[in-house]
Amino acid sequence: MTDTDPQVADDGPVRFMPQLISLDYTVRTNPVAAAFGEALADGRITGHRCPSCSLVFVPPKGFCPICTIETTSADEVVIEDRGMVTAWTVLTPIQYHGQQERKDYALASILLVGADGTVGQQRLIDIPLDEIRPGLMVEAVWAAPEDRVADDRGYGLGTAIDGWKATGEPDAPASEYEGHTL
Amino acid sequence: MRDVAIVSFAQAGSLVDTAESETQMLLPVINAAIEGSGITRADIGFTCSGSADYLAGTPFAFVANLEAVGAWPPISESHVDMDGAWALYEAWVRLQHGDVDVALAFSSGISSRSDLGEVLCLQNDPYYLMPLWADHVSLAALQARALLDQGLATEADLAEVVARSRRNAAANPSAHPDVRAAGDLSVDQLLEAAYTVAPLRAADCPPTTDGAAAVILVAGDRAREVCDNPAWIRGIDHRSEAHYPGLRDLAHAGSARLAAEHAGVADAPIEVAELAATFSHEELLLTEALGLGADTEVNPSGGALASNPMMVSGLIRIGEAFRQINEHGKHRTLGHAASGPCLQQNLVCVLEGDS
Ligand SMILES: [Zn+2]
Repeated sequence: MTDTDPQVADDGPVRFMPQLISLDYTVRTNPVAAAFGEALADGRITGHRCPSCSLVFVPPKGFCPICTIETTSADEVVIEDRGMVTAWTVLTPIQYHGQQERKDYALASILLVGADGTVGQQRLIDIPLDEIRPGLMVEAVWAAPEDRVADDRGYGLGTAIDGWKATGEPDAPASEYEGHTL
Repeated sequence: MRDVAIVSFAQAGSLVDTAESETQMLLPVINAAIEGSGITRADIGFTCSGSADYLAGTPFAFVANLEAVGAWPPISESHVDMDGAWALYEAWVRLQHGDVDVALAFSSGISSRSDLGEVLCLQNDPYYLMPLWADHVSLAALQARALLDQGLATEADLAEVVARSRRNAAANPSAHPDVRAAGDLSVDQLLEAAYTVAPLRAADCPPTTDGAAAVILVAGDRAREVCDNPAWIRGIDHRSEAHYPGLRDLAHAGSARLAAEHAGVADAPIEVAELAATFSHEELLLTEALGLGADTEVNPSGGALASNPMMVSGLIRIGEAFRQINEHGKHRTLGHAASGPCLQQNLVCVLEGDS
């Protein structure tokens, strides 16, 4: 569908023609992501432990990307909804079409206790932007059960978790996260 | 030029409305290509993939797809937003550098989650054609009409192509199940069907297909060490038309003709040609442009009319041309890939066996 704004800006040598398009997609959730989403709805974060190298991947992928072998529900493990910040970005929202954000905010990669890889793009809540640091311990602030919708592609945690707040524990030592920083 | 051969090929077959992620779809295919090659994963010196995230609407799926490769320790890799045939082309160029001997090329596409009639509009020029939402089937119909108007083909000729593709697809387990289930259809039966976009009928158009494929390329004598009957790439060439389809005579595939000349198609007889003709009239255009005679068997697999996973169909054509040498003992075959509206881009790959 095309929505062309008839208000064409003509106030200089460059003319802009807004042309918004939308594409429709059918959503099909792969079985591994669907099982992960069901657990999230119940307030549990799960992963798959590779039967060969023992690394735990969260969210589960249905395979181990290191060993290139398939993993199944038999390899499922439950991990904690608590972990450490390994890296983060402070975003200053540019006001493009559809932008909902108005103020600077932080998205972090978090290494959950029991996982061997980080979950990315996690919102930090009630933490001053200049106090974010590697090793900062955080815990999940879960969305209301009816609002917990998993990502159909198996990326991240969907809308199950509103964000992460500081636990007040001492920071994790660098040895626990240095292999996961960017 | 350094001699480079295809030594292994694997594909997922025609998947219908797959629920898997692209990476999940790729993992067993890449594993099968490596296992069939006699090469260990660690020996792969370069990896190149082809895909388009617009099809399934999954941003950065092309990055996630690398997880199906086993990219640790870190590997040397590249990606093209093109059919996997172009990934193979880049891998072939990379092997010409001489410092690595083995390459993996693969591609994947899930087109069942979008409407290709919408998504493929985005490949048109953004100023004149894109705002019209000129879909690929309508543009293909314009090209078919140009052939009919210039007296180069009849609707019965198009139906002949469809009938033969479907007959051939019956013996190909990787062909689309709907095409196989429809069974043999005569030219008269095909001509009774209503137009989809005149002069094209549904059977003149490809089935929506999801899929993935992978090939292993090996340079020099090592190819013979790992493979009983490798298929040597004797010529490979890619040519493109102007972007705007209104700037050319649609009744001729000039860039396909150029690619064939530069790939040396006419140097010796071609026994089998696998052409990425996604619409029936495209096979007639390509057969003429590539200079293929009556002694060349065209699309014994059923071709893209029998199975058309976007971004994979061209690589499968080269894979099928490889199988004709590797499994069926042919000496000289051809694989063709296309991209863009109305055969805008054409890639021709000539393969030869040792026997
Ligand atoms: Zn593993």
